[in-house]
Amino acid sequence: MVKHSYRLTRNVKKAYLQLSNGIKFSGIAIGANKQVTGEMVFNTGMLGYSEAMTDPSYLGQILVFSFCMIGNYGIPIPKNGNLFMSKGHESSSIKTQGIVVSNLYDEAYHHDRGVSLESWMKSQDVPGIAGVDTRYLVQLVRKSKNLFGKIFTDDSVIQTHNKFYFLNKFNSNEYVDPSKYNLMPSISTKSKIIMGNKYAKRKVAVVDCGIKWNILRMLIDRNCKVELLPWDNNFAHIDCDGWLISNGPGDPKNTGDLVKRIRNNILNVNKTKPILGICLGHQLLALATGADTKRLAHGHRSHNQPVFSLPEKKAYMSSQNHRYSVERHSIQPDWNLWFENANDHSVEGLIHKTKPFISVQFHPEASSGPNDTSWIIDYFVKLL
Amino acid sequence: MPILDFLLAKQGRKQKVILLGSGALSIGQAGEFDYSGSQAVKALEEENLKVIIINPNIASVQTNKGKNRKIYLYPITPFWVTKVIQTEKPAAIISSFGGQTSLNCVIQLDKSGVLRKYNVKVLGTQIKSLDISENRELFSQHMKCINAPIANSYAVSNMTEALKKAKNIGYPVIVRSAFALGGLGSGFAQNSTELKKIVQSALMNSPQVLIEKSLHGWKEIEYEVMRDKTGNTITICNMENFDPMGIHTGDSIVIAPCQTINNIENNMLRDMALQIAQSLNIVGECNVQYALNPIDYKFFVIEINARLSRSSALASKATGYPIAYIAAKIVIGFELLELKNPVTKTTSAFYEPSLDYVTLKIPRWDLNKFTGVSKNLGTQMKSVGEVMAIGKNFCEVIQKALRMVNENESGITTNIFFAANDAQIDKELLSPTNLRIFAIYETFRRGRSIDYVHNKTKIDKWFLSHILYIATTEKKLKNFFIASTRNLKTKITMHDVYQSYCNISKDYLIHLKSIGFSDFQLTKLLISTCLNIKYSFSIKTIRKLSLGIRKLRIKLGIFPVVKQIDTTSAEYPTKSNYLYLTYDGIHNDISNKNNKGNGVITLGSGSYRIGSSLEFDWCSVMTSKYFKNKKNDSIIINCNPETVSTDYSISDRLYFEELSFERVLDIIDIEQPKGIVACMGGQNPNNLISPLNKVKVHILGHSNKTVENAEDRTKFSAILDKLNINQPEWTSATSYDEVTKFIEKVGFPVLIRPSFVLSGTLMNVAHDQKSLDHYLSLTKNISVDYPIVISKFIIDAKEIECDGVAKNGEVIISLVSEHIENAGVHSGDATMVFPPQKIYTRTVNIIKDTVRKIVKGFNLNGPFNIQFIAKNNDIKVIECNARASRSFPFISKVSNINLAEIACKVMNNEHINKIILDESEIQHVGVKASMFSFQRLDGADPIVGVEMASTGEVGCLGKNFNHAMLLAMEATKIIKPTKGILLSTGRDKDKIKFMEVMDNIYKLNIPIYATKGSAKYLESKGYKINIVHWNRKPRAVDIILNGQVDFVINISKNLSVNELYNNASIRKTAVKCGCSVLTNLEKVIAYFNAYSSYNELYSINRCLSL
Repeated sequence: MVKHSYRLTRNVKKAYLQLSNGIKFSGIAIGANKQVTGEMVFNTGMLGYSEAMTDPSYLGQILVFSFCMIGNYGIPIPKNGNLFMSKGHESSSIKTQGIVVSNLYDEAYHHDRGVSLESWMKSQDVPGIAGVDTRYLVQLVRKSKNLFGKIFTDDSVIQTHNKFYFLNKFNSNEYVDPSKYNLMPSISTKSKIIMGNKYAKRKVAVVDCGIKWNILRMLIDRNCKVELLPWDNNFAHIDCDGWLISNGPGDPKNTGDLVKRIRNNILNVNKTKPILGICLGHQLLALATGADTKRLAHGHRSHNQPVFSLPEKKAYMSSQNHRYSVERHSIQPDWNLWFENANDHSVEGLIHKTKPFISVQFHPEASSGPNDTSWIIDYFVKLL
Repeated sequence: MPILDFLLAKQGRKQKVILLGSGALSIGQAGEFDYSGSQAVKALEEENLKVIIINPNIASVQTNKGKNRKIYLYPITPFWVTKVIQTEKPAAIISSFGGQTSLNCVIQLDKSGVLRKYNVKVLGTQIKSLDISENRELFSQHMKCINAPIANSYAVSNMTEALKKAKNIGYPVIVRSAFALGGLGSGFAQNSTELKKIVQSALMNSPQVLIEKSLHGWKEIEYEVMRDKTGNTITICNMENFDPMGIHTGDSIVIAPCQTINNIENNMLRDMALQIAQSLNIVGECNVQYALNPIDYKFFVIEINARLSRSSALASKATGYPIAYIAAKIVIGFELLELKNPVTKTTSAFYEPSLDYVTLKIPRWDLNKFTGVSKNLGTQMKSVGEVMAIGKNFCEVIQKALRMVNENESGITTNIFFAANDAQIDKELLSPTNLRIFAIYETFRRGRSIDYVHNKTKIDKWFLSHILYIATTEKKLKNFFIASTRNLKTKITMHDVYQSYCNISKDYLIHLKSIGFSDFQLTKLLISTCLNIKYSFSIKTIRKLSLGIRKLRIKLGIFPVVKQIDTTSAEYPTKSNYLYLTYDGIHNDISNKNNKGNGVITLGSGSYRIGSSLEFDWCSVMTSKYFKNKKNDSIIINCNPETVSTDYSISDRLYFEELSFERVLDIIDIEQPKGIVACMGGQNPNNLISPLNKVKVHILGHSNKTVENAEDRTKFSAILDKLNINQPEWTSATSYDEVTKFIEKVGFPVLIRPSFVLSGTLMNVAHDQKSLDHYLSLTKNISVDYPIVISKFIIDAKEIECDGVAKNGEVIISLVSEHIENAGVHSGDATMVFPPQKIYTRTVNIIKDTVRKIVKGFNLNGPFNIQFIAKNNDIKVIECNARASRSFPFISKVSNINLAEIACKVMNNEHINKIILDESEIQHVGVKASMFSFQRLDGADPIVGVEMASTGEVGCLGKNFNHAMLLAMEATKIIKPTKGILLSTGRDKDKIKFMEVMDNIYKLNIPIYATKGSAKYLESKGYKINIVHWNRKPRAVDIILNGQVDFVINISKNLSVNELYNNASIRKTAVKCGCSVLTNLEKVIAYFNAYSSYNELYSINRCLSL
């Protein structure tokens, strides 16, 4: 299947997207000339491609941008090279296996562009395909329970995946379902890192499950010191004022003994220290309380997810990127449902009835997407 | 119950809500308010409310009768709204769906205490917030309070202050006037001289003007915000102007969603928009406009509109989120979460649409229609309509949109600046007119860089790079063909076109189609490379040749695909019937498997323009709804975002698409309809009948032959001769010699017009040799290909129209109406009366008989409009339109006989009996009057002639002619003078006629000024007159500038170039200063005669409702 697309470049190289359901798209190779496979997911946000591509929650996935023109404003690269301080990056590198776009714009004139999207992909050795009818592809992804894809060109070779630990034993011709693996070793920090103003009064211990940098930026902006902990830390005897369990990729049940350590060393020993779970962190926390999680028919991956706060009777626009969700009926008696999705009524947030424990399925740190729920971070910091 | 308590029915009686419309269409306030208003009416009626509509715009859909609504066709002024409030005793009033007019009116009603007195609540955003959004100073204060950045700006009320503040801020500065729609009285000043000029005229319209820093070159970005009473807030859409700050948004090319900003900027501006809506306690919709610095993250809030607007209509069409409908539910008490989006039927109304396509709006200007108007664009809006293109890439949408907005089908490749030199093009880039986009294209054609154009225009390079790409592609293709078509002979056939495009690869052809080239453009491009062909091709020929490419595409399987607009980017399945076509895709969202095989496609009117406006959308809406009710698959094609016909609920499937030959054929291929209706959308779709007929498309209604016979002047006249029907002497001249010969025979004055006339383009009356030469110089060369039609112009003749419907050559119904103005004023500008008041029964009988003959002779089968001139009982036919006419809604509503519906019955081939209307049963008189927008068109001479110049119209009802006339005039801003009146009364015989109303004018007891000739005559009749002069004191223009008069009657002796020039300065000054201006004697007489009933009308207790 071919959708011819235009690009403002001369050299056009063909690329293909083979789906696990047998459908094959033709298009134009963009980024690295490389063969990759991944789980097919999409995002319907119209802006924020660099934030999405560096979002660790997309680990092992091929990301389809439904919007028809991607790359318009390039990739922000600050002059001093400090990506952490530059908005637009949510981790130090691209985390998606590859991307699929309709039209790629590979010049960029935005004042905050450092490089074009395509040269950034090349420099990070990430391939993609342009010229695909992404609306059609989104429909295919939406309709299938599990769809995998392979991006390749006429001369790309089968090689071993080497970028992320969990892919090491596979080659780029095999479809790998990331949810079948514990992705934490692939994405979490290897050692403790202390960040923020060392004189800051409050200190947050952060369980890094593949954290988005904007969560850290927001804590630091709110005058917190952050101790970023590897996922396999035992969390006991950490000196801190509160806990944050971060977002991240994969099935919350496929995280080794992480849930157990959260339950024993964070949740159960703790009576007063505030806890905030975000996205995967919310699911992990819920599992730790004894609730259950399930895989959604199709995930929420967009900037326009309406969430409804039950205590406030107020709705917010939120940015989301998840496939799993907390089972509503499994919510433990000492917890209240805090937020629900206004479209499909799935669980979007939990709040403890007596203790300062909160967790949300959506991304209060946004980036990319609307900032409407950033007050949740404020609220958490106030609790500290 | 989500509805506010006081709106709940009491004792089974529905509560009444007043909804104000926006009145006549004018520049800056056009069809978008019929769209928002009619969505609101629907939303309110669904909630068990009775809607009282006050709007004199008789051609609007919202003023259609309905079970739960009552229509008052009255001027939207506090006086008349108060009268209606007294009669109807409504529970509430809604201000936000009728533009600035309605908003201002409600604010005044609140300030004067009327609302409190009658206990009428204002729904939606409250007056306090409206004040902040309307008053510049309050706005500035409020923005500072919530830390929203605003550009330094100072409110001033006199010239000295203005100069001082401008000096402080530093030039260039922007002048804005408070309380004005569409940026009236605003401007951009580089220095103190320019500033003086702008401030002077701004202060005349507004007590307060604003001087602020110029943000020339900054990006202009807008957010549409929706908020409910509990504070849930979303942004529906953001939009970015292609033209940076400095050009009014209404005159800018606008893309939605924003394309050149990143996620950080988007959320920064979005957060601010939400914060503003929150702080103002908006209930319903509002929009926030920003200027964003293109080199850093700095921005300013420019303005907010706490009401539905042009942008909200555009945003609704761009996203598929019906903003006005939802806003109406919110103002009566619903929360966003309680509502679903009725377009998708699945998503919550608390949902920010995600798009997987882009939309581009291009304004339509008709500046050629006004003599003397400056074509430069600035902070004052000048466009009269707009189109929106939907596609998957920027090249595609800009190409589509430029084809939609002008009917020549060449789009961006039109050679407007082809012959211009570089200096002329540079000038266009630097000081833009409505044609700048073509200058940019030509610059790129000439090999200039993106930087070159950016430095001159400040347009974002992202946009420019795409335009460059189109130009480069065109050039590449041309070079390819020049190399290969050298051998083509001096003729070119459809097969040659087919063959030539066979030579390029299939992939490349798909690519060309994906970036928006039409078959027509590709054909034209090929022809331009055939260097041996020296003559130019007509549109008709190129269309025919372009079928070669169509044939090739079909053979290669290259088709556009249908995509849905669903607000969710396919994340959720939806039932949306809102569609567009693109070549940039491979998969159809809809299948025609479930088609019932009885589809009827209604072709809409396209962009509003002078001569084709709301009234044709009304006809299209009637048609589409009719076939929908008849259980046909009712399909609409239209590309005008301001229309009601492009509302999701009007049809079963809406194709928001080009009304071009190619695209209509594409849709026919997809839909396989039973037939096409092309006679209800005005001239634009009417022009498609002949080419569509040639490819065997089934057109409902008149046959192609009928249409051709009526449109082709030569055929038309020949048939009239055969039928023994009188017409003014005429000839079709192919050379100057023939023109001269004809004039020798019939004498001046003569009417000249090019062969294909659309609302009188380039039509003129020549009274002497000088004007003849002048007008001929305006038209293209006269030749066999471009003949002009000249006819004897009959002066002092009455103009009469007959609207009706025929079936198979028999009249079903015919209704006669008369013009107040004598022949010579375009029928679209004339004041029309129905039922006629001043024609002899004998004349009506002759006309009806002539109509019968014409209907038979041309075998009319559908809606028609025939125009006559009458002098005594001598009747001559001047025009026959084999289509629905501008006056259809007016005649239908006044007579209570829906002509559009009857026309649909004919097209549906239903049995229908002849309808005879007993006019004595009509208890009222209707007057339709035209609204002019001269005030916005700097330099335009506000005279009316054979070329149409009005931008809108009203229709008012009265128990007699005088009442209806006074109301219609007030609704078109002709207002009873209170300060003084200035007269110049024309020819001697006009002066005599004028005496008929002089007493009524004298009774006004205000100073009367007159130019010398008129003054002398009036003094000789015993009136006390102040004489004014052309060029010595007291000068006529000075008393206008000084505000000593607020009404100017200025009747030209004739329409010769000299005479027009002499009086132009008086008229222009009068318009600029906001005076009521009348330039037609018959209209003056009718108006001032009506003053005899003035007191009676203004003291009535019950207004007439429809």
